[in-house]
Amino acid sequence: MTQSTQAGLLEPAPGSDAPQRSGVRPVGGGRRVLRALAPLPWLMPATGLILFVVIWPVVSMFLTSRQHFDSMGFDQGSAGWSNFTRLFDEPDLPGVLMRTVIWVISVVGLTILISLGVAQMFNKQFPGRKIARWMLIAPWAASVVMTSIVFKWMLNPSNGTILVLMHDLGFMKNYNSVNWLSQQTPAFIWEIVVAIFVSVPFTTYALLAGLQAVPEDVYEACRLDGAGAARTYWSITLPLLRPALLVAALINIMNVFNSFPIIYEMTGGGPGNQTSTTTLFMYNTQQTSIGEAAAMSVVNFGFIIVVVLLFLRASRWNSAED
Amino acid sequence: MSLSACSSSSSSSGSGSSGGNVTIKLLAADYGTAGTSNSTQAYWQGLADTFHKSHPNITVQVQTIAWTNWAQVATMIQDKQYPDILEGDAPQQFAADGLLYKLTDVMSSSTISNLIPVFAKQEDGTDGAAYGAPFTTSARGLFYNKKLFAAAKIANPPQTWADIQADAAKIKALGGGNIGYGLPLGPEEAQGESYLWMLGNSGGYVDSSGKYAINQPANVETFNFLNTLVKAGDTEPGPASTNRQQMWDAFSAGQVGMVGGSGALIPDIVKNGKLTTSDYGVVPMPGKNAPLTQTLGVHDDVVAFKQGGHADQVKQFLDFVYSDQNQIAFDQEYDLLPATTSASAALSAKDPVAAGFLKNVPNSVVYPSNTNWNTVLAKLKQTLGTAASDNASSVLNGLQTFATSNS
Repeated sequence: MTQSTQAGLLEPAPGSDAPQRSGVRPVGGGRRVLRALAPLPWLMPATGLILFVVIWPVVSMFLTSRQHFDSMGFDQGSAGWSNFTRLFDEPDLPGVLMRTVIWVISVVGLTILISLGVAQMFNKQFPGRKIARWMLIAPWAASVVMTSIVFKWMLNPSNGTILVLMHDLGFMKNYNSVNWLSQQTPAFIWEIVVAIFVSVPFTTYALLAGLQAVPEDVYEACRLDGAGAARTYWSITLPLLRPALLVAALINIMNVFNSFPIIYEMTGGGPGNQTSTTTLFMYNTQQTSIGEAAAMSVVNFGFIIVVVLLFLRASRWNSAED
Repeated sequence: MSLSACSSSSSSSGSGSSGGNVTIKLLAADYGTAGTSNSTQAYWQGLADTFHKSHPNITVQVQTIAWTNWAQVATMIQDKQYPDILEGDAPQQFAADGLLYKLTDVMSSSTISNLIPVFAKQEDGTDGAAYGAPFTTSARGLFYNKKLFAAAKIANPPQTWADIQADAAKIKALGGGNIGYGLPLGPEEAQGESYLWMLGNSGGYVDSSGKYAINQPANVETFNFLNTLVKAGDTEPGPASTNRQQMWDAFSAGQVGMVGGSGALIPDIVKNGKLTTSDYGVVPMPGKNAPLTQTLGVHDDVVAFKQGGHADQVKQFLDFVYSDQNQIAFDQEYDLLPATTSASAALSAKDPVAAGFLKNVPNSVVYPSNTNWNTVLAKLKQTLGTAASDNASSVLNGLQTFATSNS
């Protein structure tokens, strides 16, 4: 579909050049090339911008990953592939990769599950719906860094509000006896909670828009056929919600995969690298070796490309079925 | 055009003070709060003005940078915005990159010989020549809260690790969420607290020949002991994520029994107002069997960049800066210690708190000066703390491998 459109654009207008099309090769080839190049002045600014802000950093990232920088950031010449071999030899790397997968799947999965419920609720009429919808914007509107810092202080071992509550309810005997953000599993779970907290509003609104686009007569037909609530949701709502779901999922996957501020503010990826995902690991590695950190970004870049390709496949399959 | 040509020729031929007007740029760390009278900008500007009166043809342009933005300095150097003088954290790497004057080019021999030897020696590059001078120093001791010690019925401050363990347990048993021993092994300064403990067991980062020995048996034993402290709850929970400033704040708030500190902790205590001078004491850091006879000495440096080509002027200014009066004025403002022998003696005579710290300075232990120390340091800050709550020997082995393979 797309290919034929492009070809059509490049072909000469049917009126003027129609006789030449049957000939072997047009004599006025130069004119045709010129014509084909005609859109170039209009395309140049956009192309230039893309080259400058997208392609150039990518190229520069690849070049950096093959250079050796000293601790002051001075370039000491080519490093070959040693930055990559050192990266793959890092004992922390397997854990970091596994955590990244857990991070993306759990945050995106739970966010979508919760948002499906919230969107369904917001799609029903109830008193105060307007206020409730407005309130859901708060976690989205607040800076992620600020939200993370607030959660970090709420978990402070000596006076965080969550721990004060636990202490006053008798779940904890003394302050300063537990520091969740310094233990791998609790810290990572809290970071996932915060990530879900900041992702739910956007996802809910994306799904709400999808829900509102489902025509009422489909539901009516469904009711006439005698389908129950569960059946309706499974066979009508979810399939019709698929485009919205796919968009929400893709944007969330990219956002969550590249998410830096939550983990950075709450634990800095620590203790050690025990709560780092690849993005944090890249930052922490940069403090000891810029080249190795660049190698990590190249790997990250590869991941994102794979995810996007998978998504494009999924969405094409989707439109073909429609 | 002609002006600049004129000034450069005269400064190279003239004997410094007789040359044309020269501006030298000074970039320094801010030990106070920017924008207040406590800012180090005020200290340097005062020196620059006084110096300009006696040397009318030399103007010193002062710029200070907060410690929290210190990474900016590396960026400035990479962008070739070289100052003539840099004061603060000035790693050996600058010398290795060929950016610095030798110290003998920018400081007269009488000033150099007055520098405290243990710190001056650390400025030596790989070629044996010094490329910088210590400017201000600090030494560590153990601060303890006398109120908490009295409440827990502990008669004497700790002398050994076993004392720390017993005292910390008693303070924790008081209830109320007090912390026995504050063990800040978070990224801010894991290397400092760890070093104090390693020294207590005759360990350290390097062996006697200067080679890295991070995983030496003594260090493993030290961290195994820290493991038992942490597991028993004698420290704050999660030391590997706790930064020094957090523990200092908690000590100042009266919640911590013991914490390692330098003179820089005193302003925090005063500002917090919870503890009076009689409520806390400072003793040498306990070791495994006896208190440390050597303490950890830390110093910030002065280095001179050669791109500006103002060696003569820099020399005159630095000799002025290192006078006893100017050294002491700085250290009294920020509760730090001088870097020269004569200023130390003068300060000891008039300030008893400083005298307590200064006593140990001449035989203090310093961080390694291996060329890749800066890289190793970044890794230590991130990782070393986990040795106190994970398998100590595997963490230390990993660090040793890192230190020896990233040269």
